[in-house]
Amino acid sequence: MSVSNMLENWSKFRHMHPVDDKPHEEYKWAMSIDLDACSGCNACSVACYAENNLPVVGKQKFDAGQQMHWMRIERYWDDDGREFPDQGAQFLPMLCQQCEAAPCETVCPVGATNHTADGLNSQVYNRCIGSRYCSANCPFKVRYFNWYDYPTTDNVWPAEMTQQLNPDVTVRGKGVMEKCTFCVQRLERAKNNARTEGRLVHDGEVQTACQQACPTGAITFGNLVEPESKIARQWAHQQVELAARDKQAKDEQEGGSDLRGYRIFEELRAYPSVMYLERVRESAI
Amino acid sequence: MIENSFNRRDFLKVLGWGGTAVALSACGNTSIQDGVETVVSYVELPEYAIPGISVYFNSTCAQCDAGCNITGRLREGRVLKLEGNASSDLNHGKMCGLGQAGVQAHYNPDRVREPLLRNGDKGEAIAWDKALGLINEKLAGVKGEEIAFLTGGVSGHVKVLLNNYLEALGTKNHYSYEAVSPSVVRAANKKAYGVEMPRLRIDKAKVIVSFGADFLGAWVSPVHFAQQYAKFRKANENGRGVLVQIESKMTLTGANADRWIPIRPGTEGIFALGVVNALGSAGLALPADIAAVSKSYDAERVTKDTGVSGEQVTKLAALLKERSPSLVIAGSAAEGYAHGSQNAAAIALLNRVLGNVGKTIEAPASVPFPQVTVSTGNRSAVQALNDSMTNGKVKVLFSLGANPVFTAPSALKFKENLSKVPFKVVFANFLDETALEADLVLPLDSALEDWGTSVPEYMGEASQLNITQPLMEKLHPNTRGMGDILLSLLKQRREKEYKDYEDFYSYLRSAIVKNKSALGGNGEDDDTFWTAALSTGMVHFTSAANSLSAKSSAAGLVLPPPAEEDSAYPLHLIPQVTASMRDGRNANQPWLQESPDPLTTIVWDSWVELHPKTAAKLGIVEGDIVEVTSRSGSIKAQAYLFPGIHPDAVSVPLGYGHVALGRWAKGVGANAFGILDQVVDKETGELALNETRVKISKTGKRVFIVKDEGAVGGSQAGVKIAVRASTDEVELSGEV
Repeated sequence: MSVSNMLENWSKFRHMHPVDDKPHEEYKWAMSIDLDACSGCNACSVACYAENNLPVVGKQKFDAGQQMHWMRIERYWDDDGREFPDQGAQFLPMLCQQCEAAPCETVCPVGATNHTADGLNSQVYNRCIGSRYCSANCPFKVRYFNWYDYPTTDNVWPAEMTQQLNPDVTVRGKGVMEKCTFCVQRLERAKNNARTEGRLVHDGEVQTACQQACPTGAITFGNLVEPESKIARQWAHQQVELAARDKQAKDEQEGGSDLRGYRIFEELRAYPSVMYLERVRESAI
Repeated sequence: MIENSFNRRDFLKVLGWGGTAVALSACGNTSIQDGVETVVSYVELPEYAIPGISVYFNSTCAQCDAGCNITGRLREGRVLKLEGNASSDLNHGKMCGLGQAGVQAHYNPDRVREPLLRNGDKGEAIAWDKALGLINEKLAGVKGEEIAFLTGGVSGHVKVLLNNYLEALGTKNHYSYEAVSPSVVRAANKKAYGVEMPRLRIDKAKVIVSFGADFLGAWVSPVHFAQQYAKFRKANENGRGVLVQIESKMTLTGANADRWIPIRPGTEGIFALGVVNALGSAGLALPADIAAVSKSYDAERVTKDTGVSGEQVTKLAALLKERSPSLVIAGSAAEGYAHGSQNAAAIALLNRVLGNVGKTIEAPASVPFPQVTVSTGNRSAVQALNDSMTNGKVKVLFSLGANPVFTAPSALKFKENLSKVPFKVVFANFLDETALEADLVLPLDSALEDWGTSVPEYMGEASQLNITQPLMEKLHPNTRGMGDILLSLLKQRREKEYKDYEDFYSYLRSAIVKNKSALGGNGEDDDTFWTAALSTGMVHFTSAANSLSAKSSAAGLVLPPPAEEDSAYPLHLIPQVTASMRDGRNANQPWLQESPDPLTTIVWDSWVELHPKTAAKLGIVEGDIVEVTSRSGSIKAQAYLFPGIHPDAVSVPLGYGHVALGRWAKGVGANAFGILDQVVDKETGELALNETRVKISKTGKRVFIVKDEGAVGGSQAGVKIAVRASTDEVELSGEV
């Protein structure tokens, strides 16, 4: 895609869901993560390694920032200078937010990352040339680049370890960008099964690997188009709109909102598909 | 996959041979890489095996002792992923990271593959017949009391066979040793409630006060507790639950508390009695014995001894009085002292005063067959074994599932004493530190290849017998299941009794089917019952519920004053049991090494946690390699400045610092077990984990810590990323 082409047809490339001329039809996958339930235990992250053939890079490459955890737990402390973190730590599971107006998509020179009809920010490995512009432009820093050819790197998948690899998911080679897919292999299977039976995917029929493992059930995932799905009811109750501009309407009220739902970097207008629910701490103690 | 000389024509031929079933055999390890295996189609396609479609089998997680029920996902005869078994009472389809990594224990390239006999410094592969014959030979002429069997926690039918074998050998020397054992908890519970493991109803409590029980991380049955915790946090009919954690070093559970209270190490019991006293002052009627014990613990004394403000104690008492039922849990942090049992007893009084016994502390379901329940043990077991070895009283030693050379306190000189045993047999999946000292190493099947049963120590609603079944064919032809080995050994002794059992599977099947009436299969056909048991991966005991006896009396409870300062070794060492590493037996699973520690985000190494204040005093900055020296030894590791720790304490994770166990464990970090002083809890003999005093010195070297958090540490720099709100700011009712 040349620069002139990109500039001329900007609105076409910058086409985002959902807009009036092209709403989501059958599916719009979305997630919510309840930070009050999340204990920061890392089970989701390990489940993601198992499901998505993520390489273990080792200490040296981890130090160079080359770790490949599509799902990571960020840990924050209070910034208010108290001596002890006496209200605990803040844990935040961070994964690709599957933005509806994804900043990564518009900068890909080869169209390797683009939007699917069911609202995923997809990454076409075969098309990726490794410019890493997408990663530079991602506000959440959830894109991971294969600096090495991990299948042939020592002690990544030696001998029998290759047998654990999930055949539904590609093993990526050197020079390719990768990231969370919302377990697209599971979604596709569920959609195919549903299509064969002439129906839509039921709510709860498909789980992402992280959601399935989460011991506290902090992660909810489903189809936002179906109004009765748990995810749609959650978003509705929290009054979080997928295509809100700059700010959610509820946050513009005077005094703010007493609902917990929010999206990270709302003001960037990336329209993330992941809603977080604020962590709550008791005021009586 | 299809490349090089495997051209299109060949590919079409292959398709012609076997249709879509090419390249797949029933349960083998075939691949169609060039020259690796011949492509063979199914002669007879198993009914359930459709290429490209996953099949699922139920089994039991063997990564820790919680015994969660798991479902293995298989494709073309290979296990790909472990998931929670949705019909389990314990883990309800959920799983922790440690459990997930079970596949890496199975596929680990460093597994022992052949029986190894010591020849100088090397192990020579020998045949199984020869190995088993050698054991028989070495046992000849050895008296029963000169034979010892060391195990970790064993339960189920392997334990039955093990006990039969010990009986056949005429020995009672079964030493059960868990390096990180909740044995003080067990003893204290037994005293306070009449049972060792009562059911804790975290989901029913409105307030939880946990004295260092890391129930979301590594304590007893974390996945089970985590689900109860999720219910506890929901704004349901009980309202949103409040968690208060009191400990000297923040655990994962502490990091999730509404209020985390750092306390001077060892003074947890004093704090508990202070709360009892405050409850009395707030108007709660105290039984006379409790009032007598707690009356001198006024706010002033508690503040002086524990370092926690009187206001905090009063606030906590008010909350507990207002919101009932609550639940008070004594965890390993409170119990890891020479007076650990007293601490636990004082904490148990709180439950009695608050009327929680019977409400949030319930009787567990009982197991009607004591012969299958888990054998428990602690440091005193390894001490007893060590004493026998020192005196040359052990001629033959068997070891299964324990690694005392790595975990035992250095004062025992276990490795040295082990060498006094003329013949040592270790059953192992990996060559760990103890297996390296063996004369004969017998390779075991992995937990995903073996048959077996186990009984979790902590039960959910009903008591259950977990079934372990092979999820796939053996990876290595010369490994064997522990049950099969024991059966072979038993046949050497009691041929008549066991000759009908061709293998452990047939023994197991007949043992379970024979007792089907006690396992909920009354009147069912044998085959139907067995098939159902295998398909669910567990059977339930039909048994009467236990009852609790709230008999804890405060009489005789004496708490020592806070520990005195030690000018030579000024800091308290708090070894941490992390959710991934535990006692170190899973350190060779790379997912766990690369999974950041939740609190420090450090990977692939040990670290020394210091409060920034303490670090400033010592002139230490992040990444300084420091030497932590106790009276028993010293280790070197990188310093990490951590706000969630009492300034009088330092903390080092356990489980790192292997000198063996395989490529991903060896040489990673430092072994903190080695510097623990051998101070024990006076009542149980359990190692008092937190009693070691240390000093810290800089070595002059400095490294960049390899961790997941960014350059600004844990700061959000004013941006709304991970948001916290207090309960009076949010409306929780009506949430979906």
